[in-house]
Formats: sequence, C-alpha cells, structure tokens
Amino acid sequence: MNQIWIIAKLELRRAFFSKRALWVYLLALFPAVIFVGHGISVKMQRDEFAGKPTVSAALLDRMAVGTADADVLAAAGKPLQDRSWDQRGRNIKRRTLMYFDGSRRVWFEFENGALRNTRRRELSSIDEDRKVYAGMFQYFYLRLAVFFGSLGIFINLFRGEMIDKSLHFWFLSPVRREVLLLGKYCAGLIASAVIFGGGAVLSFGALLAYQTSADLQAYWQADALYHGTWYVISAMLGCVGYGSVFLAAGLLLRNPIIPALVMLLWESINGFLPELLQKLSVLHYLQSICPVPPPMDPNVPPLLRLVLAPTEPTSAGVAILGVLGLTALVLYVASRAVRRLEINYGTE
Amino acid sequence: MAVFRRGYQRYDGPLTGPGTRFMAIPRFAWSKILSQRFVVILLVLSLFWPLLCAGFIYVSNHADLLPNIGGMDASMAKLLEINGKFFAVFMNVQSTFAILLAAIAGPGLVAPDLANNALPLYFARPMSRWTYIGARMMVLFGILSLVTLVPGLFVFGMQASLASTSWLQANWWLGQGLVLGFVLYIAMVSLVALTCSAYVKWRVVAGALVLAFFFVLAGAAQMINQILRVEWGSLLNPGFAIYTVWCALLGVEPVEDAPGAWDCFAVILVMLGGLLAVLLRKLRPVEVVS
Repeated sequence: MNQIWIIAKLELRRAFFSKRALWVYLLALFPAVIFVGHGISVKMQRDEFAGKPTVSAALLDRMAVGTADADVLAAAGKPLQDRSWDQRGRNIKRRTLMYFDGSRRVWFEFENGALRNTRRRELSSIDEDRKVYAGMFQYFYLRLAVFFGSLGIFINLFRGEMIDKSLHFWFLSPVRREVLLLGKYCAGLIASAVIFGGGAVLSFGALLAYQTSADLQAYWQADALYHGTWYVISAMLGCVGYGSVFLAAGLLLRNPIIPALVMLLWESINGFLPELLQKLSVLHYLQSICPVPPPMDPNVPPLLRLVLAPTEPTSAGVAILGVLGLTALVLYVASRAVRRLEINYGTE
Repeated sequence: MAVFRRGYQRYDGPLTGPGTRFMAIPRFAWSKILSQRFVVILLVLSLFWPLLCAGFIYVSNHADLLPNIGGMDASMAKLLEINGKFFAVFMNVQSTFAILLAAIAGPGLVAPDLANNALPLYFARPMSRWTYIGARMMVLFGILSLVTLVPGLFVFGMQASLASTSWLQANWWLGQGLVLGFVLYIAMVSLVALTCSAYVKWRVVAGALVLAFFFVLAGAAQMINQILRVEWGSLLNPGFAIYTVWCALLGVEPVEDAPGAWDCFAVILVMLGGLLAVLLRKLRPVEVVS
C-alpha cells in the first residue's frame, strides 16, 4: 500500500499540473461557466422586466392560431417588442410580437398577418433548469467530458511514458509491476475524480445560485442534496470505469485511439441497441444512477427517434457494482499484460 | 593554418520541378497510410452507404417497374425523388467516415516530424512552410476524397446517367454544390487533423484531440443552446456549420431559427484561420533553444 501511494503521489503532480491537464480542466469546468453565464443573464432579465407592463396570462393563452395581428394588438395592447421582416425569395411577411405576463415572455409569430406559432418562455423555472441540467450532464458531461478527460489522463499514464521513453525507469525500480499499475491507476483516478467530481459540484452549484429564494428553498428541502450527490457519484464512477478501460488500452495497444473510437461509437449508438447490448456499456450504468432522466436529445432526427428504445435503468446498487466489477476485470487483464510487458520504444 | 579544412559549394545539378517536389511527401505518405489495416477497414465500411444510395437511385429511376408505385402515389414519388436533400443526407453520412479517417491517418503526418526534430531536414530542401503544409494537406485530401468526393461524384454520375438529360440540365448545380461542399469540408477536417497533430506532437493524443474537436464542440454547442435558450450556440458546432453551408449549396431548406448559411460560412472561415495560425506557429523551421 505504501508503494502504491508513493507512486500515486509522484504521478498525481503530473496529472494535476501538466500543461495537458489544462484541457481536462476546461472540459470539466465548461458547464459551470455556462451556468454562471446563464445565471447572470437571468438576473439581468429579472431586473429588466421588473418594471415592464404585463398582460394577463389568460388573455395571452386565448390567442389561437390564425388570429390576425391587428386583433392581437387590439386585445393585448402595445407589445414589448415588435419585429417585422420580409422573407427573401418567398414573398412572405413575417412579424413577431412579444408580451410579458409577469413570469413568462410570450412571442406571437405571424405569417402574412395571421398567427402561425406561439412561443412561451419563463424568465426562470427551476423545473426546466433541472431538466436542462439532466440533459447537459448525461449528453455532454458523462458522454463527452468525462470520456475524453479520462482518455487524456489515463492513456498518458503508460502510453505517454512509452512515447517519452521514460517507462523503463519505473520498471528498473524495485516495485512489482502490478503495484506500479495500481499506483498509476490510483493517481489517474484521484485526479479525474477530483476534477470531474468538482466540475459536477460547481455546475450544480451554479444551477442553484440564480434560482429565486422560494424555488431554492423548496428544492433544497426536497431533492437538491440527493440529486447533487448522485450527479457527483455518477461523474466519479465514470472516471472509475472509463479510466480502467483507457489505462488497459494504453498498455495493450500501440494505438489506443482505435478502441477509444470504437467505445465512443458504441456509447453513442447505445440507445438504439437491443436491451441486452445496452447493458454492455459504461454509460448505461452511469445514466442509471443519475437522479433525473434526460430529455430526448433534440439532435436526433425524427426517423431515428422511432427506433430509439432506451432500456429500463438498472438499480443504483447493481449499477455501481457493475462498473466496479468491470473495472476489477479490466485491471486484472491489465496487470497480466503489464507483467509480460517488454520495453520496445518504437517510432511513435 | 587549419588542420582540417572543408569547403562547400552550391549544388548545381539538375533540379526536380516544384510539382514533383510537392508530390514527394504525399507519394510516400499515401502508401504508408493505406498499409494500415484500420484505414482499409474504414475505407471499405465507407463504401456501404454510397452503394445503398446507388441502389436507391436505381430504384427511383425505375419506379415504374415496381408495382403500386409508378406514377400512382404522389407521396411515394416524392420520397423517391433525387434532390438536394438526398445529397445533403448522403454528404452528412460520408462526413462521419471522413472524421474517423482523419483521426486515424492525420496525427501521423506532422507529429513524428516535430517529435523527432525532423522539420529542418524538410526545410533544408527547396521547400517552404506553405509547401510543407500544402503537401501534408494533399495527403489527407487524397485519402478523404476516397470517402467523400469519389463516392459523391459516382452517385451523382449514376443519377445523371440514369435520369433524363433534362434532369442534368436542371440539376447540374447539385453536382457543383456537392464538389464545393466536400472540398470545403476536406479542407476543414484536414486542417483540424494537421493542427492537432502539430499542437500535441503525440500521435495518440492528437487522434483523441481530432475526435474531441468534432464531438466535444458539437456537445458544447448543444449545451450552450439548451442552457442559454439560444440558437447561436450551433455556430460552435463545425458539423452543423458545414451542414448548413451544404444545405445552402444544395438548395435545401435550412433548419428553422438556426444561424444562416453565411453566418456558418463566416464561422468556418474563422475556424480555418485560427487553425492555420496555430499550425504556422507550431511549424517553425528553426527553433532557438535558450
């Protein structure tokens, strides 16, 4: 254990403070930065709309498709925003009127003077924000940020040293190869778990920071702590699972990008696979322990939505055990490989 | 008096032409890349979609042979129509293979030269930085053409030959859009691959960076749109930006409320400029070690 910790300490410095770690920090902190930006924008909008005239929500909801713009103006009065333009090449006159009912902004979109579409958006809604966070966390954070962050950190541990032609120094030291492997894995795991767990905490904190005090209090008393904890656990578990796979790929293959590519594609098409195959991915177990199911990815074309069949989430205990079991298996295979490893610095 | 004296004089033998010098790098690189098993597998896989599209074109031009379709059902005839949307979908699918190929083949082009300090060997010859970049891009242009331009022109040519002459007269610009769109796309993907390769110097990490460039930016763009409730975030997604430009070139209705083709084109140019600036900064013929 002492040797593992010494190796981990040496590696940790590199994992946290190397120049390449900057990209990992960027990936982890990007959602928090965007949520902070959104928070500032919501606060500014609240201040901006505080003194604006309001129109009753019931009146705005009554406007049906096909209503003339003159009728809307007569009923609702002067809008807060009035934009008109001609659509080039299609001889269509478009107009958008915006009203405010005290909590929502309502846009009426007209085509040649007739109401075609109505869009409503609340200045801020904690329920909507929670769904957005769930989507961001599962589509961006787990699938891309944790994936590529772990790829950057864990591949560096062995393959990076081979490219730098410095792995033989480790192999010359009086340490068993398995201990070296565990030490390096622990270093990568601590670094990635701190960075991505921290990123999840910061982005969740940024989400809560701009909510109204009533919303915040209600959410805090209900689920906030529970949700936040499971998001952090999920991010850390992602580092555990992806980390072990990329560490082993860096050891076993000269070009670990190919398994990474295959894994990325496998995780991307996960939702379209049969139930049994969906369970053969790290992402399925990570999504299973996320507290809020993600909304449908808006980028998925309608035809593909028909064949999308997300399977039932696995229970939290099984999901955690599943990822840990996979990690143990992969590390066992990697430890067998590292024992047989002979240094052969080829042309990289 | 010197104990050892050696003089040099300029080489005055016959010089190869600039074209031959330019093609020297691609000639060797192509054979090296095509000897990689995974590249060959990807090239083979990338042929399936064009073959399916060719089959679709055949069916669409022989709809009268199929029972219950020929001239009867307007919606079915519309479904079988070969138009800009068909080529936009075709290009979109093939572009994924181009990214994967660039991630596999691209990083090995510049990174080893930088990692092994081989650049002075290139620049000691009659070859400028621009020629070096152009030659390296030519390598990727050739490889990526095999999954984009070549099958694209094959599919277009097949449709042109099976359909009447009037179709070609009315739709020749689809072929022009396809070529222009793919050339712009190849330039972008090649520059991303070369810049990543030059930036990190490690082949392995460069490959991951190429993938991350496209996948993470797409995710980040979507995240910005969702969190900030805006549409301009899509501009950060290179895949979306190029698709919007393709739609404009192929006369396809763009995505509603999303940024327009000119905005996307401008963003692509800015991206290309930024990538080129990083590449030029990294590719210095002389490095002063302090």
